[in-house]
Amino acid sequence: MILKPDNVSGLQDLLRAATAPIDGVDISSLATLKTHVPEDMTATVEAGVTLADFQAAIGKRDQWLPVDPPAPERITIGELLSENLSGPRRMGFGLIRDWLIGLRYVSAEGEFVFNGGNVVKNVAGFDLCKLMVGNRGALGVIVEATFKLAPQPEREQFFERSCSTIIDVAELIERLWNSGLQFSVLDLAQSAGSNPRIIVGFSGAAADVESQSGQLREITGFTQADLSHDTWRTKQSNHPLSVAPGDLVDCIQNHNPEQYVARAGNGVLYHPGAAPERKPSAVEQRIKELFDPRGILRAL
Amino acid sequence: MTQSELASQLRALCGEDAVIANEDELLVYECDAYTMQKNLPTAVVLPRTTEEVVAIVKFCAEHNLPIIPRGAGTSLSGTVLAVDGGVMIALTRMNRVLEIDARNRRALVESGCVNAWITREAVPHGLFFAPDPSSQSACTIGGNIATNAGGPHTLKNGVTTNHVLGYEIILPDGSIEWFGTEPNGGEDVAGLDLRGAAIGSEGMFGVVTRVLVRLTPKPSTFKTFLGVFDSVDDASQTVSDIISAGIVPAALEMMDQLITAAVEEAYQFGFPLDAGAVLIVELDGLADGVETQGHQVESICQVNGAREVRVAADDTERAAIWKCRKRAFGAVGRLSPNYVTQDGVVPRSRVPEIMRFIQATSKESGLRIPNVFHAGDGNIHPLILFDERKPDEVKRALAAGDAILTKCVELGGSVSGEHGIGAEKIDFMARQFAKADLNAMQLLRKAFDPEKRCNPHKMFPGAKRCAEFAPKKQAAA
Repeated sequence: MILKPDNVSGLQDLLRAATAPIDGVDISSLATLKTHVPEDMTATVEAGVTLADFQAAIGKRDQWLPVDPPAPERITIGELLSENLSGPRRMGFGLIRDWLIGLRYVSAEGEFVFNGGNVVKNVAGFDLCKLMVGNRGALGVIVEATFKLAPQPEREQFFERSCSTIIDVAELIERLWNSGLQFSVLDLAQSAGSNPRIIVGFSGAAADVESQSGQLREITGFTQADLSHDTWRTKQSNHPLSVAPGDLVDCIQNHNPEQYVARAGNGVLYHPGAAPERKPSAVEQRIKELFDPRGILRAL
Repeated sequence: MTQSELASQLRALCGEDAVIANEDELLVYECDAYTMQKNLPTAVVLPRTTEEVVAIVKFCAEHNLPIIPRGAGTSLSGTVLAVDGGVMIALTRMNRVLEIDARNRRALVESGCVNAWITREAVPHGLFFAPDPSSQSACTIGGNIATNAGGPHTLKNGVTTNHVLGYEIILPDGSIEWFGTEPNGGEDVAGLDLRGAAIGSEGMFGVVTRVLVRLTPKPSTFKTFLGVFDSVDDASQTVSDIISAGIVPAALEMMDQLITAAVEEAYQFGFPLDAGAVLIVELDGLADGVETQGHQVESICQVNGAREVRVAADDTERAAIWKCRKRAFGAVGRLSPNYVTQDGVVPRSRVPEIMRFIQATSKESGLRIPNVFHAGDGNIHPLILFDERKPDEVKRALAAGDAILTKCVELGGSVSGEHGIGAEKIDFMARQFAKADLNAMQLLRKAFDPEKRCNPHKMFPGAKRCAEFAPKKQAAA
């Protein structure tokens, strides 16, 4: 059964009344931008708002939430958080957990829980925000989030270069890594039947982006690009392979996927093969049993 | 078990020289940098290896003894106070930098490693460890994890949780776990983010033994401004305007007149003694962007009536400014025999309001309250000055602190930005959080420590207090 509450208290009632595991929660009724305080660079938004709508609203004041998973018009804030989604700019801006400062969720037992706050620095109490990011709906239903925001970059530029072999890729990545350039994007990508490509980007003050783009052009072969290499991931597994960044090319060679996207700065490889099964640790199982004693939410 | 039996059992596990159990020596461990409550641990043990930590923790589990993990004891909130005695595990002998992995911008260190030592080892590789609490020349990375420590430069760079990739932790039952990224492993770890959930848990989830931290490339350009203002109000408005303009400086710090005078007397930097407030604004990054933002910052300062905007001439002067700022608490001893400090947070746009409230509170209480704080984060540090020999002043100091923190919550803020709740701010938790919020935190604690034996009597309302609840002689820390 998919729960479809009208509001938070409805969700509380539905969860309390549930007697069997649920198949999910449709939170499309919770879709309001509660507050945006540009002077504080913070915003509070209900979890049913799509990432694209949220970005459009805060973008009116030249601010943004600097995470960029593909298809933001189809991703709700709730999914962004519970699935811990990210995109190519992860190299420059980090993950959603780095921007989340407050959270409201409904527990499996129907409790309405608040954690964190509205301020950008806060250590009062345990950090349940971190626990809930990436919980995949196993520990509670996120209904509202407060983020610290960033000023929109004055300029962004992206470049790509095709390499004939993965060995060439490895050499060029090391060169870029040690170049002193400050990439917001440092990706590898390959589509079926074509050569591997390196995609890089700069985000920030116009003058910095210009001067860095100039330095990059001194390394031959880079041409203007966009970030469309990442879009195929929408239908694929969100659960990548992850290795130390210096081991990424080895990892690609070992798995040898026909099609992939990889974050060279973070050591993350997405490819269509399913992520391996993983058994939750004893601590994770204890947390699950305590947070969802009746086992009505999704399994870990 | 008597104290001497406990000591000899612990000695059997960790060696003769690793256990402290006589009263004179235990006095060192009776409190941390929060000195309003004191109590002796039953014994202190100083292990040298993860295996010894495991042996101690298992022993304590078998004998149902409280354990209190401790780093350098620089906590400002009584986080490492042995409220009801117990076995204090001091990690200060496990203090090595084990490996700098420059290629992957990581360092593997032991949990008792001093924060500043990580940067010292990383600098030859063009890297540094970003979290920089003012106590960084003494505090340990394990303590930084326990409190999710911040510092002046966390405005742009983030706090401890943003820079700790993973760590080895001994749970209260003695089991060894690694949370987050393993040495030589990938950043993304499947499953729940236990790493993030246990950072800032104030030592209640276990004893951290080894830590994998993220290192950051050193920016190529720094520009450090000193903005001199006639009033705290003008300086506060400048802070708010800088953030509103979409500028995120590397650091944005304020010192008011009282603290500036004390710092000047102690360190002779050349701060103006008659200014109402001084702002330290540091920009870092690439040359062009820093230059452009520098002009913006200067003009915002001037619009708000800055009397003078000085730029640090070189790295030496920049280092001198930061030395003064980070040692500011140390200079307070020149102003008063005792102080209590708070570290409440308000939304950044409310900094002018909270500063006016602090000034009013100072007037009302008849106590001087100098301020030196992370203005860009809205993280205040009012230092309430009092004399412990005057019981009425003590009472007024505590009341003033209470009023300021209450105001922070009222303005939509928090009672702690970086010092933690510890034994000190327990009463505020129920004001900031509802019962359901606290219950959820207790559930998480239960998953790690069902017996509540690990750093007990902290953070949560209803916790036991030390019988002795009065300020003793407090050297300004």
